[in-house]
Amino acid sequence: MKIEDMTVLICDDSMFARKSLCMFIATLGIKNVHEAADGREAVEKFKEVKPDAVFMDIVMPVVTGIDALKQIKESDPDAKVIMASSVGTQSHLKDAIKAGAYDFLQKPIANDQVKKTLENIAKEAD
Amino acid sequence: MFSQFFGGYLLNNKIVTSEQLTDALDEKKNTRMRLGVLAINDGLMSAEQVEQVNAAQQTVDKLFGDLAVEMGFLKASDVSELLHKQPTDYLLLGQTLVNNGAITNAEFETAINNYKSKLSLTNDDISSDQNNKLSELVSDFFHFDTAENAKLYTNYVTLLFKSIIRFIGDDFTPLEASISRSVCAEKTVAQNITGAYGALTAICADKDVYTVFAKRFAKDAYIASDEFDDASVGEFLNVLNGLYAVNESNESGTELSLAPLSFSEKVESEKNFFAIPVQFTFGEAQFIISF
Repeated sequence: MKIEDMTVLICDDSMFARKSLCMFIATLGIKNVHEAADGREAVEKFKEVKPDAVFMDIVMPVVTGIDALKQIKESDPDAKVIMASSVGTQSHLKDAIKAGAYDFLQKPIANDQVKKTLENIAKEAD
Repeated sequence: MFSQFFGGYLLNNKIVTSEQLTDALDEKKNTRMRLGVLAINDGLMSAEQVEQVNAAQQTVDKLFGDLAVEMGFLKASDVSELLHKQPTDYLLLGQTLVNNGAITNAEFETAINNYKSKLSLTNDDISSDQNNKLSELVSDFFHFDTAENAKLYTNYVTLLFKSIIRFIGDDFTPLEASISRSVCAEKTVAQNITGAYGALTAICADKDVYTVFAKRFAKDAYIASDEFDDASVGEFLNVLNGLYAVNESNESGTELSLAPLSFSEKVESEKNFFAIPVQFTFGEAQFIISF
């Protein structure tokens, strides 16, 4: 799969975090980028757009990122959900991996990490 | 970070005014380092000797270094060594203040010597920004040694200033903290740290300052809107608190979590908190912390 053909979903209650990640992903040539501002919206959007990769914040209102991750994995065990959080402690990391996260990125997220993660997912899809 | 706290020291000791300091912070990037200030900093010349060479330069068309050697104040090897030195930030600040007439070379010499001796700082400590020295400097400046949870305050505030330099800029001066239970501002964002222990953290500023802070954090991703300003300043606080939680987890195994951000015009607490004012070149913001 070519990276520019991917569909990406960004879930974060921070408009800043969504816009800055969207902006970088656009520079990779990816046009299908969707946004969700809380965990519930993330699960709904996931079912609607079937993204190839999801970036998910952990601390979010309504439904937390970890709960949203669990719900997404229930509906699609192959979903590639990358947890992106400002709190990258061992326990958060453990919770995320246990719930089926594909990867964990500590905020502020480095653009080259985003690129590398998306390239890996695109390669695995081939 | 030594430069910012040296600025705070100059201000607290009424050696410069807030306006003189803000002007110097704005202008220091264009300042060319003079050999005299470097020589004073290294203890090779006194301020008086520097003034004598400066006075001699008015009558003879010679370089400072050549004249200082001729007058017996420096050796040629000293001049060569000084010329190869990278000027540290606080020296550029001092040089700018001298250039602007805010302080004299002698006042700069006294201030820098007093500051270094008060904190037992060497030139190497300053140029390498050593972490333990930075923590000492923060603790001394804000008098955290007398506070309960002194270590937590020192760790958090050291990280706060490192984060300001990393994400916002180095053109600021920390001011003396106050202890309060309520702070009002046109804009405030707050976040509680929860888990093994609790903390209240917040950023308060008037709208214009808040917007510039948001712009600087967002860089190219900035979108002009009140909602985006909240999101950007909030994300700075969220990232700062996240880094703090990770450090605590790595260093002491303490597990912390972050509550969602809240936005209003007031920060109130039943417990006392430290309100730390920071004077940026674009205005003042307050950082609130209570453990």
